[in-house]
Amino acid sequence: MKKMSKLLSLLLAFSMCLSLAACGSGTDTTTTAPDTTPAAETATTEAETEADTTEAEGQYPVTLTDHAGRSVTIEAQPEKIVSGYYISSTLLISLGLEDKMIGIETNAKSRSIYALAAPQLLELPGVGTAKEFDIEGCAALNPDLVIVPLKAKDAAATLEELGITVLVINPENDQLLAETIAMIGTAAGVTDEFTALQAYIDDKNTELAALVQELDKPTIYLGGNSAFLSTSGAQMYQNTLIENAGGTNAAAELTDTYWAEVSYEQLLAWNPEYIILAPAAEYTIESVLSDPKLADLTAIQEGKVYQMPNTLESWDSPIPASILGSLWLASVLHGDVYGQETFEADVTRFYQSFYDVTVDPAQLQ
Amino acid sequence: MKKRTLTFYTVTLLLLGVTFLISLMIGKYPVTPAMLFRDENAMAVRVFWTLRLPRVLMAFVAGFALSFAGSIYQTLFRNPLAAPDIIGVSSGASAGAAVGILFMGGSMWAVMGSSFLGGFLAVLLALGLTRIAAGRQIATFVLAGVAINAISQAILMLLKLSADPEKQLASIEYWTMGSFASITDTKLLTILPFAAVAVLGLVLLRRQISLLAMDSEYVTMLGVPVASMRRLILLLATLLVASVVCVTGLIYFIGLIAPHLARLMLKSNRFSTMLYSGLLGSLILLVADCVARGFTIGEVPVSVVTSLIGAPFLIYLICRKEKIA
Repeated sequence: MKKMSKLLSLLLAFSMCLSLAACGSGTDTTTTAPDTTPAAETATTEAETEADTTEAEGQYPVTLTDHAGRSVTIEAQPEKIVSGYYISSTLLISLGLEDKMIGIETNAKSRSIYALAAPQLLELPGVGTAKEFDIEGCAALNPDLVIVPLKAKDAAATLEELGITVLVINPENDQLLAETIAMIGTAAGVTDEFTALQAYIDDKNTELAALVQELDKPTIYLGGNSAFLSTSGAQMYQNTLIENAGGTNAAAELTDTYWAEVSYEQLLAWNPEYIILAPAAEYTIESVLSDPKLADLTAIQEGKVYQMPNTLESWDSPIPASILGSLWLASVLHGDVYGQETFEADVTRFYQSFYDVTVDPAQLQ
Repeated sequence: MKKRTLTFYTVTLLLLGVTFLISLMIGKYPVTPAMLFRDENAMAVRVFWTLRLPRVLMAFVAGFALSFAGSIYQTLFRNPLAAPDIIGVSSGASAGAAVGILFMGGSMWAVMGSSFLGGFLAVLLALGLTRIAAGRQIATFVLAGVAINAISQAILMLLKLSADPEKQLASIEYWTMGSFASITDTKLLTILPFAAVAVLGLVLLRRQISLLAMDSEYVTMLGVPVASMRRLILLLATLLVASVVCVTGLIYFIGLIAPHLARLMLKSNRFSTMLYSGLLGSLILLVADCVARGFTIGEVPVSVVTSLIGAPFLIYLICRKEKIA
């Protein structure tokens, strides 16, 4: 009896050691696959060198380093592409690759830009979301290239095991977005298109920076999508957008990496000059203007409450069109140097040249 | 073995075999037996070996592990509602998974290892608590489990609070729903040795498990070191549960309903009944997983299916108990 329990204790101890060992090796795997910038930077440089050397389109094979730090070799120009992320899907449209797409992220119907620019995408089979990527369903489409967000990097590993080429992207800021554009553009062999898109974004950014450089930078409170009392701190993409447009984020002291909850008291202490509502806000300008607790704010008294348009896309997220978010905000803050009409012309030109969509300026009011 | 037991075993094993084969054929990627023996469809072969077969085997192993462990918990605690949740394995594993998602980069191995340790640690703590407690009644075990459960829940809540709602919080929530969607050959092969060690240990201790179901004074007279034996068996059962839960996430109710069904069908609570409840658990979970992935457009977490079967059954059980009383 005693002997047996001793034996069992040994077995148990042994298995626990094994589990610890397994855990240890697990940590190693994590450290060897860094998620962020260093690897990502290599991606751009590599992508750029590739772009420089490949004058004619489609010099394959091409080797890229993606945003999960994986080295990915693309053997031939991909003809069948699956995109598991709305940012890569819109990017593919803007690069003129929508006809090569054979699978798309679930919930594609909620993106109005697809219906406008590439309605055929709505008919494509869904391959799930980052949380629940449908690996088998994706494999069944027999794709040449699959693009997934960093959140789905485990699914990427499994797809790779199946022998499918996968790129992991993480466009969280302007730098990473530029890398994503170069990575996908190079992988798909559309050098001219991606260079043109990036050049447009860079030119507009430079233009805007020169415009607002000498001007006052009014303070802005950005009301979040889900609630007015949630806002973006300095770490978020929305902060870059505000700064690019020549404004100061009233909530810049917040260090949260996601929408942070704030109190009325905090907001009164900041007393912003402008209040901007996020494009997908679930409340209205009227509800903010009529809130008695906000009545003392300068922005309310001067009626400076605006909502970013959401008719085409949410420009406050790092998508190819996000430069338009900065431009829109500049037109609100600095209408004297960058007026509504110039802004509307810019939007029309952007969607015409990259999405082949004619925008009615009235939609942007 | 009694005739009744033998009949039920045969029928269940047959059903299990059939369900297993049907499960192998269900999925988004078209795989037919013919494809596996011809070279022309290399992708189908890879899908079968890396995704399909591991997933079906995992559902089988998980069903067996959770139900077998569940019936051992119920026997040891002499409590019809005892399940892996009651002594804190599940909530410990959830808190562990949350730690993996938040602080260890959220990679597959980090989450797996950390939830395994979380589940195990919770039970070790519960057992430690009963050791220092004055009375070593069975109720003390259950109470210690409830306390540890509450603490793990509080930790989990704190972790959720500090998580990024769009990415990490969603990952934690999704993990606690349980799913076989991300099972691959690597994951299955990693946990299989742990589960095998635990099952082997429990089979070797089958006589002691049956003895512990009886009055502890009587068992002590027989010369069995009740407290330490109970602890050892609990640890083995926990090893079994933790090894499964760390890759599948929480799967509700299966560890509760399968043992009850087994006892109702075999009308006994011997060790063979406990093994039988494991087989029943496998069968139920295989069917639930087929429903979860085969009959919907996307994929439903398997816990949704098991809970939808489990909760009505629990209500039925309560009503039945009342009638007897």
